[in-house]
Amino acid sequence: MNKSSSILKKASEYLLTFLVILTLNFFIPRLMPGDPFIFLSSSEGQVTITYSEEQIAKYKAYYGLDKPMIVQYTSYLANLLQGNIGYSIYYNNSVLSVIGKRVIWTVSIVLAAIFISCLIGTVLGSLSAWYRNGTFDKVLYSFIIAISEIPAFLIGIMFLFILAAKLGWFPLSGGIKTFANYSNSVEKITDILHHAFLPVLTLSIVRLGEFYLLSRNSMIAVLTKDYMRTARAKGLHNKRIIFRHALKNALLPIVTRVFLSLGAVFSGAILVENVFNYPGVGRLMREAVMVRDYVLIQGIFLFVAVTVLTMNLLADIIYRRLDPRVN
Amino acid sequence: MFKKILKAAIAMALVATLGLTGCSNSTPVESKIEAIKKPVVINLEGEDIGYPTPFSHYSRGPGSFKMALIFDSLLERGEKGYIPWLADKWDISTDGLIYTFSLKENVKWQDGTPMTAEDIKFSFDYYTKHPPVSNDLTVDNKSFIQSVEAVDAATVRFKVEKPLSILLGKIGNTRIIPKHIWEKVEDPLKFNTPESAIGTGPFVLKDYNKEQGAYKFEANKDFWGPKPLVDTLQFIPVSDSVLAFDKGEIDLTGNITTDILPKYQNDKEYKVLQNPAFWGYRLIFNMDKRTELKDKDIRQAFAYAIDKNELVEKVARKAAVPGNAGYLPVGHVWFNPNAKNYEYDIEKAKQLLQGKKLSFKLLTSNSNNTSNSNNSNDELRIAELLKISLAKAGIELSINSADTKTRDAAVKKGNYEITLIGHGGWGGDADLLRTAYSQEITSSQSPSTNSIPGYSNDQLNKLFEQQLYEMDAAKRKKIVFKIQELIAEEIPQIPLYNTTGYVVFKPAKFDGWKYMFDHHEVTHNKLSYLDVK
Repeated sequence: MNKSSSILKKASEYLLTFLVILTLNFFIPRLMPGDPFIFLSSSEGQVTITYSEEQIAKYKAYYGLDKPMIVQYTSYLANLLQGNIGYSIYYNNSVLSVIGKRVIWTVSIVLAAIFISCLIGTVLGSLSAWYRNGTFDKVLYSFIIAISEIPAFLIGIMFLFILAAKLGWFPLSGGIKTFANYSNSVEKITDILHHAFLPVLTLSIVRLGEFYLLSRNSMIAVLTKDYMRTARAKGLHNKRIIFRHALKNALLPIVTRVFLSLGAVFSGAILVENVFNYPGVGRLMREAVMVRDYVLIQGIFLFVAVTVLTMNLLADIIYRRLDPRVN
Repeated sequence: MFKKILKAAIAMALVATLGLTGCSNSTPVESKIEAIKKPVVINLEGEDIGYPTPFSHYSRGPGSFKMALIFDSLLERGEKGYIPWLADKWDISTDGLIYTFSLKENVKWQDGTPMTAEDIKFSFDYYTKHPPVSNDLTVDNKSFIQSVEAVDAATVRFKVEKPLSILLGKIGNTRIIPKHIWEKVEDPLKFNTPESAIGTGPFVLKDYNKEQGAYKFEANKDFWGPKPLVDTLQFIPVSDSVLAFDKGEIDLTGNITTDILPKYQNDKEYKVLQNPAFWGYRLIFNMDKRTELKDKDIRQAFAYAIDKNELVEKVARKAAVPGNAGYLPVGHVWFNPNAKNYEYDIEKAKQLLQGKKLSFKLLTSNSNNTSNSNNSNDELRIAELLKISLAKAGIELSINSADTKTRDAAVKKGNYEITLIGHGGWGGDADLLRTAYSQEITSSQSPSTNSIPGYSNDQLNKLFEQQLYEMDAAKRKKIVFKIQELIAEEIPQIPLYNTTGYVVFKPAKFDGWKYMFDHHEVTHNKLSYLDVK
């Protein structure tokens, strides 16, 4: 098979996946019971306005939801081709702007968390592998397994109560001080980092186990290879053996995992953003599903799908670069 | 080297000046003056409720109340009833078909344009074409206004279709929007520029951040009415209301559970208010699906077999009152204390059932609407307790739970046997009884208006009609009292309990909190922030 046809095949694979996702994104929210306009109940102490039939009919016509599903679907695809991802039913705003203003918050904490958990996880994993079956390895192993089994929101709430509420080291919620006047941008950035610290820490801890285990396993596999014996026989320093000879070879699965874990980290972000009232896409997604804002749900899942597919593609490409055996 | 010394010298000089100015600020006299002049800034728990215009705020949550800080109405909801607001006086013709309002003088829009009767006429006309999110201008799904006329600059006259007793509040509560801004607006849902948030109200929107859910309102310096007590009103995001209150981030919290209540009650620094019981849970029977429920004895057996006090104690942690079988809760202006009351009595329930073994499916929700609330499982807890106590009488319940939207959709379609639903608005006009119990009505307008499938009672329907057309308040009240007695006896649905949550604040900082006569939240009341007696 020549190269161009394989690229073509890959591209059509991605395109097909994308189309399937689009279709599911469109139909699944609409097949859920309930619609954006029915509100009969409210949560305790809260108030809700229940629309009259007349209002519901007006709104449905306004958003085109009174048309047959297939008509809605084709017009959704047609709009999408023109780059129009719609107008949010609940938020009264264009989906692009609703998501756009939140994406930056989520992407920042997600990337930061992946970076930190990958870095620390890999280092700890390598050390664990080097000292495998020793006390250090055993203690670290059980500790990390234990904390990575705690759900993200619990860790978050714990940090919130201890570090933010009791000790007052961090703000209780939000992404930035509300209505603050900063004298310079350093102050502003510090404030944003200050707010992001706990969410990032929580997410990092949650993902830590994954990278730790992966790098530990991969390292153990590499360390038993013959060339490691050679390295040791040459009398090389331990540090050089671990990080230069072993890690470099053990890194492949970790790199792949960084890209592939993006989807999972996003879902973790939903919980963490809710705990810290962080203004990201995760919280928005939860709210959008809760109020059945079809257009917004589509938009968010479209965004997530595009991101994850892009990451998969990147992983594909980078893998080829790193490992000459592929291809 | 020399440069370094120079820099150090400048820095020291700066520090010294700062220190000096710091000292001069802290002399006792000046700090006193500062304390007097210091603007009142109130921070409250916030969430995104949309852009605060009559069209853009969300239907869920307190959006309409934030919008009302900017937009005034002809009447306002005081502590006892409706009070004059944009309208000074009003008159209803003897046939109940003509409402005439005289407007206050010198009312100005926040952009300086004078408000006139034309604006009032325009608002009502505009709403017929484009209904606002919270639409008061219909009765049973039909618009009741025939025409609105601006008689002169300060008088508006409404002609209505039918002489109904409930129209004054509905007209009075409608938000007035400026003609000179909105007459050009074709699509009000997409109109949310700063211009759209210009009203005549006591507060001006200064800042809104959708992602953070933050709002900043400032007192309208040219407000025509009572003096604002608050200079800046901010709604900010919090993760946990009580934590944020203890840290001083917000000035009032409503999420106080009975367990931590004593901490605040025993401390003079705090003041605790208990909300009126205008938010509640009720159990609705679907008599179309289960015709056995048409039998009054069985419904009464349910009522006797439910221990409402236990629910209040265990689920609401005592921050509630048991539901009133006559529906209107204690504290409602027209609550009838003489309506039948069903004390928990398993023996009576068994007698009424006459040995019948029945089983029903109970539909509840298992999720919560809001992101910040932590009482998500209350409905399930109620359901489990109901299951236990009903089982003692011989009624078996199986509990189905679904997310709120799914449940609401099922209820709307009548796709349930018995359901448990919680909502606010129990303090509203007594006509809510008609919409909650009458089979005639197919529409829904407030959360309490999904009538009971399969239930119809001629006597009740007649009384509902009577109170709707009775323009004399005293006579109408009598009819409403009779209705409560009848529905308590008939018990077509069972009000379980009405919550009476606590709010805590520091009176030294701000002590203006007041309730509206028909609503359970002080922060929703715009009069809380104004100097009104």
